[in-house]
Amino acid sequence: MGDNKLLALDKIDLSINEGDFVSIMGSSGSGKSTLMNIIGCLDVPSSGEYHFRNNNVSTLNSNKLAELRNKDIGFVFQNFNLLPRLNATENVVLPLLYSGKNLKERNKLAIEALESVGLKDRVHHRPNQLSGGQQQRVSIARAIAGSPKLILADEPTGALDSKTGLEIMKILNDLNAKGITIVLVTHEDDIANYGSRIIKMKDGRILEDRKNVNN
Amino acid sequence: MSITDLIYLSQKSLRSNILRSILTSLGIIIGVSSVITMISIGSGARIEVEQQIERFGSNNLIVRSQSSSNRGVSMGANSVNTLTLKDMEALKEELPAIKAIAPRVSLSTQIVANGNNWLATVTGTTNDYFDLGNWKFENGRSFEEEELDSGSRVAIIGKTVQKNLFDTDSPIDEVIRINKVPFTVIGLLDAKGGTAWADLDDTIIVPLKTAKQRLVAKKFPGDQIRSMTINVRSSDLLFKTEKDVDTVMRKLHKISANGNPDFVIRNYAQFLNARQESSRVMSILLATVAGISLIVGGIGIMNIMLVTVTERTKEIGVCMSVGAKKRDILLQFLIESLMISLIGGLIGIALGLGVIFGVSEYFKWKMSLDYMSIVLSFIFSSSIGIIFGFYPARKAANLNPIDALRYE
Repeated sequence: MGDNKLLALDKIDLSINEGDFVSIMGSSGSGKSTLMNIIGCLDVPSSGEYHFRNNNVSTLNSNKLAELRNKDIGFVFQNFNLLPRLNATENVVLPLLYSGKNLKERNKLAIEALESVGLKDRVHHRPNQLSGGQQQRVSIARAIAGSPKLILADEPTGALDSKTGLEIMKILNDLNAKGITIVLVTHEDDIANYGSRIIKMKDGRILEDRKNVNN
Repeated sequence: MSITDLIYLSQKSLRSNILRSILTSLGIIIGVSSVITMISIGSGARIEVEQQIERFGSNNLIVRSQSSSNRGVSMGANSVNTLTLKDMEALKEELPAIKAIAPRVSLSTQIVANGNNWLATVTGTTNDYFDLGNWKFENGRSFEEEELDSGSRVAIIGKTVQKNLFDTDSPIDEVIRINKVPFTVIGLLDAKGGTAWADLDDTIIVPLKTAKQRLVAKKFPGDQIRSMTINVRSSDLLFKTEKDVDTVMRKLHKISANGNPDFVIRNYAQFLNARQESSRVMSILLATVAGISLIVGGIGIMNIMLVTVTERTKEIGVCMSVGAKKRDILLQFLIESLMISLIGGLIGIALGLGVIFGVSEYFKWKMSLDYMSIVLSFIFSSSIGIIFGFYPARKAANLNPIDALRYE
């Protein structure tokens, strides 16, 4: 709260195209989380503008931001962030509840999403009855249930062993192949390598922004 | 997000902490059960007083004969009849506050009719007795002047007597034998029901003169009577008239102001007032308990909701990230606290009903269940849930999604 303003992001000029798979890398404090929050419409920049699909996000109020997150953006977190009291289906249904879909429709969408991540036989399990990989798949199902345009994955493999991590990356890769834009935050090179574009950040600035030919 | 979805989510989280939820609602439970019990005691007492007035008539004083005790030794209530019809006439003349007086002689005796036997109390009196005692006729009529003056052998019987002597509902014009003397039944009284000490319907009423001539000539010689019911013009005059009657009676019987009287004056209003007063004290006590426990209960809810909001900060962040608006979060926590208080309200209502039935069974205390009190408790407990749940719910809704997500 001093007089010195700390700029988490500085002079960022970035555009991401629909269908991109962008990996954002950087050490802690590099500003990658703040960038993610702004891209994910969880936060608005203190100055400058962010446009998301013809919306000037910088001018939106919290209700409009919530609506955008609900309809167009899916989040996948490092620690899954599933609600422990709810079973897999109920967790996946959560965003559909807030969009006001009726019971029949949202259950159908949730089951479909769970099937698409290979959890057809785990729909009534609670998070504590599922392995880490399965929990992450539930959270991916939750992210895609509302057919978003963009998925933000914040260290999605960080809490998983490497074999399970690869399975999760494969699912994200498949989603990208279906046309969903993916923004991935990671500090592991081989995970970042799934992206078609890699952005490296340091001290709130973009250090490097390159096409990934390895992919 | 629909209300049913909100309720579904709320009950999920309440059930995950079932003991905590019930302990939280304890204050509401006690508060609501006290409210219900309080209202029942109050309205029960009111109804009982109304019933007593209905039974015995309002604004009545009863003067009875009493053997003046000799050095503290009572000679027994039946040993002597000290009241006379002259006393009655004198009271009527001296005290304009008196509207009417019904004299009474009585005996318990064998009644025979229709081949059946029955032991009943027979009262000899005048027509005023019916008005003053709030007696109504199911069938037939009261005495006619001529019957009273000539000492006709006519009788009016109570419901219990009718049931025990006759098979038919209409005993009018039937003949009953009271102490072997035949009487014609001319009226049947409406049932009043029993009190704790007597069946009011086990009664036969005959004209005063008839009783004195044919039934109780030895027991009540001359113009002696057993008791008189005095009806006072208004309830304001009741206590003053009671004193005046005492003064006049002492003068008539030549008893000094501090001497032992040979009569006793009963005032039903006294009894009713005491009854009402004790239930009023009880109600005030319960109202205090109810008020305090409802407030404490509300604070308990607020406290536990604040804890819940803190515990679930991360969860709130997750909900916000998948699209929950402030309003959704606010409503969810409000509904949770509302549910806690409503569950407390329901348990409180059940407990209150249990207390009411227990007390009325065990103490034979009249309690009246007022359905308004149940509605009132519901409104009470739900408003407490909303009022005290609002601050925690607003706190949850105003969380910043990023901070909430990052919360460990």
